Amino acid sequence: MESAAVPTPDSQSPPAVGTASSGDKGLKKNAIGFVSSVVIGVASTAPGYSLAATLGFVAAAVALQSPAILIISFVPMFLVAAGYYYLNKADPDCGTSFSWVTKAMGPQLGWIAGWTIVVADVIVMANLAQIAGLYTFLLVGWDSAAASTAAVTAVGVVWIALMTSIVLIGIELSARTQVGLLAAEIITLAAFAVVALVKVYSGDALAGSIDPSLSWFNPFTLSPAEISAGMLLAVFIYWGWDTTATVNEETEDPGEAPGRATVISTLILLGIYLIVAVAAQAYAGVDNLIANQEDVLSALGTEVFGSPLDKILIIAVLTSAAASTQTTILPTARTTLSMARSQAMPKSLGKVHPRFLTPHVSTLAMGVASVVWYVGLTLVSEDILFDSLAALGLMIAFYIGLTGFACTIYYRREIFRSVKNFFFVGLGPFVGGSILFYLLVKNAIELSDPANSESGDSWFGLGPPLVIALFFLILGFVLMFIQWRKFPAFFRRRPEVVPAGFLEGEAELAPEPISGGSE
Amino acid sequence: MGEIVVGYDGSDCGKAALDEALRLAKGLGDRVVVVFGYAPPGLWGGEIVEHEEAIEEFGEKVMGEARQRAEPSGVETELAMVPRKASQALVEVAQSRGARMIVVGSYGDPPLKGMILGSTPNKLLYMAECPVLVVPAIG
Repeated sequence: MESAAVPTPDSQSPPAVGTASSGDKGLKKNAIGFVSSVVIGVASTAPGYSLAATLGFVAAAVALQSPAILIISFVPMFLVAAGYYYLNKADPDCGTSFSWVTKAMGPQLGWIAGWTIVVADVIVMANLAQIAGLYTFLLVGWDSAAASTAAVTAVGVVWIALMTSIVLIGIELSARTQVGLLAAEIITLAAFAVVALVKVYSGDALAGSIDPSLSWFNPFTLSPAEISAGMLLAVFIYWGWDTTATVNEETEDPGEAPGRATVISTLILLGIYLIVAVAAQAYAGVDNLIANQEDVLSALGTEVFGSPLDKILIIAVLTSAAASTQTTILPTARTTLSMARSQAMPKSLGKVHPRFLTPHVSTLAMGVASVVWYVGLTLVSEDILFDSLAALGLMIAFYIGLTGFACTIYYRREIFRSVKNFFFVGLGPFVGGSILFYLLVKNAIELSDPANSESGDSWFGLGPPLVIALFFLILGFVLMFIQWRKFPAFFRRRPEVVPAGFLEGEAELAPEPISGGSE
Repeated sequence: MGEIVVGYDGSDCGKAALDEALRLAKGLGDRVVVVFGYAPPGLWGGEIVEHEEAIEEFGEKVMGEARQRAEPSGVETELAMVPRKASQALVEVAQSRGARMIVVGSYGDPPLKGMILGSTPNKLLYMAECPVLVVPAIG
């Protein structure tokens, strides 16, 4: 506590004022309740938006086996999430892939991991904006505007500007409002699935309708190429869920198993994805899903619910997209803020706004980059925008996979100390990371053939998604070397390791290096 | 001896509030508690601790300025950084001290803008259990 004067002689109250002493960093005060952490896990995955954006593409990749793909894609995400959980344990509340990969595997890989998060964010904003623009017009029933690329793009840009401002100003919905919005979204999706299934069995579904079959859940009828293409899309569907593992749950009973919220949010997500995927393809058939892949849910919603109830589904997708934007911009802005404070990025990105206390420079930079990317890409071709989803899958697989490896490497002195450690801290995250890297390589090879992209265009003889991913990777290396030359301190950091016995409470971590090795 | 709790964030209206609080405290023979509330917006996600550290650094700078500003007045001053949102921080400190009043500055935003940007004086009018004095920025 700082005090500029002598304590009051007749002071009756003890200093009840919490002060920011430097030992107060654990952020334990940010531990949140059970319901909130479930909501965070589900809302940051954005089920409504994820389904709207990808269901048609997954159907195009794997036909009737979408449910099977949704299940097996969850495996690598789950395994790496175990890694997130343990990394968070060693580095409480303190980070995400950037700081973890830096600690475990050195500053160069850490930098690239942070950069990939930023790029993935910029790309997903464009896709979110596209869905938001489209669904806004569908909501008001202005179909001619929904068909116009210029109109949709204009609304999409407004959307990005609006979401960026909300994060910049630091406007927050109350926890209760968030719970309400999410509940409405889940109930709407579930109602859609139930009504669609009832219509399938009563013969009121579309012409291509098929009765659900258990064989849809069987992944073994698929070729390796189909599996990897489908899984890459589905990895995107689960993106965001992994944050649940880093949320510190408030538990009154310390003996209680942590991560209960993670389990519940997983069950909700898997459940809603499977039931909607099954219902959608049973109701409309695969060909219909593929034909409407750009707006599956709005197209089916009209058929399933009829007017005006179908608007509820559109609203659910829009709120889901809004929640997803929120859970994308702020964490990413914090990543660049953290990188700037470690001298890994320009200093101004590390500033906080004096009134709103938000990382405003980072936030604004991200918003501007998203608009430039979105408008630029739309000018080239709208199909390229959908191609960027595949590029996005490559990036997510890269940085989440890298984080899986980081856990195994960071804990390498721990993993042979018990069977549990071996499977959950060592093998699990490593296998999860390996699966994601396999998807990355396999898809990169597939996507090197322009015929395998949405647009069918050829850029430098390669498919656009691969070119997009490579472009950002190379740009990342260039920017990293520029920063390295100017501020070498960060890039001289040495990888660290968790000492044997840490998880058993027998050893402690080495003290933090002086903040970012600055000066 | 009473206590006057003042919100300070380094802005012009914060300065106006601090000056007014010091003037009142001098007349009343009170102490002044300068409060900087610094909860980072957004519950979780990303490198939240780094964000909080950045805010703490800003807060420490601002508190240093407040100390300098208060020194010539001779009024007994205490500085407190509270990891809560500004309005909550002020209410909690005032309540725990049984403060005479809370003094805050006003950015002078019109009501709608204040609603969007989040107006601390407005929140205090509903939350505070003691009198609230709102001081507009001068010039």
